[in-house]
Amino acid sequence: MSTELFEQMAQSIIDGDQEVSADLARQALAAGLDPLEAITHGYMPGVNKVGDDFACGVAFLPELVMAGEAMKAAIAVLEPAMKASGTSRQILGKVVLATVEGDIHEIGKSLVGTMLTSSGFEVYDLGVDVPAAEILAKAQEVGADIIGLSALLTTTMVKQKEVIDEVARRGMKVKVMVGGAPVTREWVQKIEADGYSEDAIGAVNVAKELMGLKK
Amino acid sequence: MRYQCQLLSEVEKEKIHTETLHILSQAGVRYHSQKALQLLEAHGAHIVWEEKVAHLPAELVEQTIRTCPPAFTLGARNSAYNYPLPSPVTRYAMDGTAAFAQDFESGERHYGTDKDNELAMRIFQKMDMGVMAWAPVAAEDKPAAVRPLYEWFTSATFCSKHLQHELHTSQQAEFLAEGLIAILGSEAQVKNSHAFSFIYCPVSPLVHDGPMMDAYIELGSLDLPIMVLPMPVPGTTGPASLFSNLCIANAEALSSIVVYQLAHPGRPMIYSSATGTIDFRTGSYTAGTPEMGLMSAALAEMGRFYGLPATSAGCTADARSPGPEAVLEKMTTSIAPVLSGSDILVGFGELEGDQLLVLEQIVVDNEIAHICERLFQGIDSEPEKVLTSDILQVGPGGHFLGRKSTRRLSRTNEFYLPWLLDRHTLEQWQELGRPGMYTNARRKVEEILAGPLEESLPDHTRGALDEILARAEQQLSKTNVS
Repeated sequence: MSTELFEQMAQSIIDGDQEVSADLARQALAAGLDPLEAITHGYMPGVNKVGDDFACGVAFLPELVMAGEAMKAAIAVLEPAMKASGTSRQILGKVVLATVEGDIHEIGKSLVGTMLTSSGFEVYDLGVDVPAAEILAKAQEVGADIIGLSALLTTTMVKQKEVIDEVARRGMKVKVMVGGAPVTREWVQKIEADGYSEDAIGAVNVAKELMGLKK
Repeated sequence: MRYQCQLLSEVEKEKIHTETLHILSQAGVRYHSQKALQLLEAHGAHIVWEEKVAHLPAELVEQTIRTCPPAFTLGARNSAYNYPLPSPVTRYAMDGTAAFAQDFESGERHYGTDKDNELAMRIFQKMDMGVMAWAPVAAEDKPAAVRPLYEWFTSATFCSKHLQHELHTSQQAEFLAEGLIAILGSEAQVKNSHAFSFIYCPVSPLVHDGPMMDAYIELGSLDLPIMVLPMPVPGTTGPASLFSNLCIANAEALSSIVVYQLAHPGRPMIYSSATGTIDFRTGSYTAGTPEMGLMSAALAEMGRFYGLPATSAGCTADARSPGPEAVLEKMTTSIAPVLSGSDILVGFGELEGDQLLVLEQIVVDNEIAHICERLFQGIDSEPEKVLTSDILQVGPGGHFLGRKSTRRLSRTNEFYLPWLLDRHTLEQWQELGRPGMYTNARRKVEEILAGPLEESLPDHTRGALDEILARAEQQLSKTNVS
């Protein structure tokens, strides 16, 4: 029964169907299945399949995003049960995400958030136009491992440096990764960011590297 | 007759309008500008203050759009370059605010600088199809807080055509006003000439920037025209069909225009768009696609539907470097909006989805513009072009090279003679080192840059602008990491 259910779970992710993925999670709980088993053997193979397919150009971006959303929907059902039983899924790291102050462009940052969440990170998405102080306060509050900063404009990407400078000034151990259309490796070196990616899938790999995990 | 196309039927335009009104009243639009929300509320919009969302009633939208002037002249520092809108022909604007530039000598890619803007403006000044300058790159070597002021003043210094650019905050507005007055000599001249205008991009979907909108409202006192350029991308920041993406772009355009008209009724507005697509395999933004050309053309038609001057993004490309891919994409995104009658296509000189300035591309694009213009001119059947008498006289066999009509028409726009495309004979071409259009374009760039400055601002005005910039920098700069 479990094997069949696991396959359905993986398929619900591949299909990007939030309703089905959440419904299967409820079925698993009703059947007494270990939520961690469901994530590890049911949903994650689906996430990995879509991720691999996207990396080689087979899956399209909406399929990747909807797989991430379906994964989030399943986790939302399973997480309370895990907490109630005193277990928890393996969190690869805590990430505070924001689009920097003065910039209200959202989509890139949100995509990164979805991809990180579906890959096992705990993400705190602060939204857009977020001042450095607010980002740092949240990072300290949750004990973030990584701060992710998005900026679409050359005039606002300077705010990425503000955050990095403040992290250094406060002696915080958190890593900072940056992204956005005008961000280049040259810029990353200049502001001494810890990580950078051109796209959301790459951001997951960078985050894993920053956590000392293999890609 | 002229070769014109109609992409949208009258029924389709009405349908876009109806869907747009539905979006504006039901979904509403988020304004990060307090001033905008207050204006809208005072005129009957329902505001959800905690979300900064305004729901715009149809009557408000329709009445307010009617206060826009249907025509005005886009002035220029040199009035010889004045360009009346709407226009019976399509002309071109420099593409703007790219993050990067390609070094002309080394070919290396670097963040845009003030010097890049200077060089590009000197080239653009000499392009006969270009009527509207826009700072080609974001000058990353200037402090972010005053960067747009540098971009404005450098562009105005080296180009005497109409200049359009942006501001990011209200604090920058007074310095810009001072600079524009210094350039033209008086406030009245700035107001009356319409030599300078703003470009305004809503943030898709359905969001308006606060500081930028506030700055533009503030400078309504100078009657600076505003070109509204929505940029929803189907399937990401816009809905996935081209039709519905047109609707959301239209909603963003109208919801911008409503605010600017409520603040300053009768202020000149230009309806525009830059609706690119993405490559769903990678998520990369693409601006050189057939869908981009179609949406640009359709939205130019929507601008006309509202009785407004209508411009479009076009002559855009995603190629990483100059070459055939760039030319193919630029032709693809030019032809449809030109044939639909767009007043201005915005796209000269840039690649990589408007992110990379390449000087020689400005020259190549001017050639593309000429070719599109020739297509648009169509086939003339006026009496002087009906040459049946020549046919009767030459009869079967023979040739027409000796006819007076041939001699006359060979030197008219009946035949476009390219000035970049190579038309030498094979042996000549080989002897010349096999030149291509980019080789020829680079020569043109070298020639222009080696020549004298043309119509640049006099030293005393440049001194005044430098003084304004120094003051602005002192007052506004907080962060400079360049």
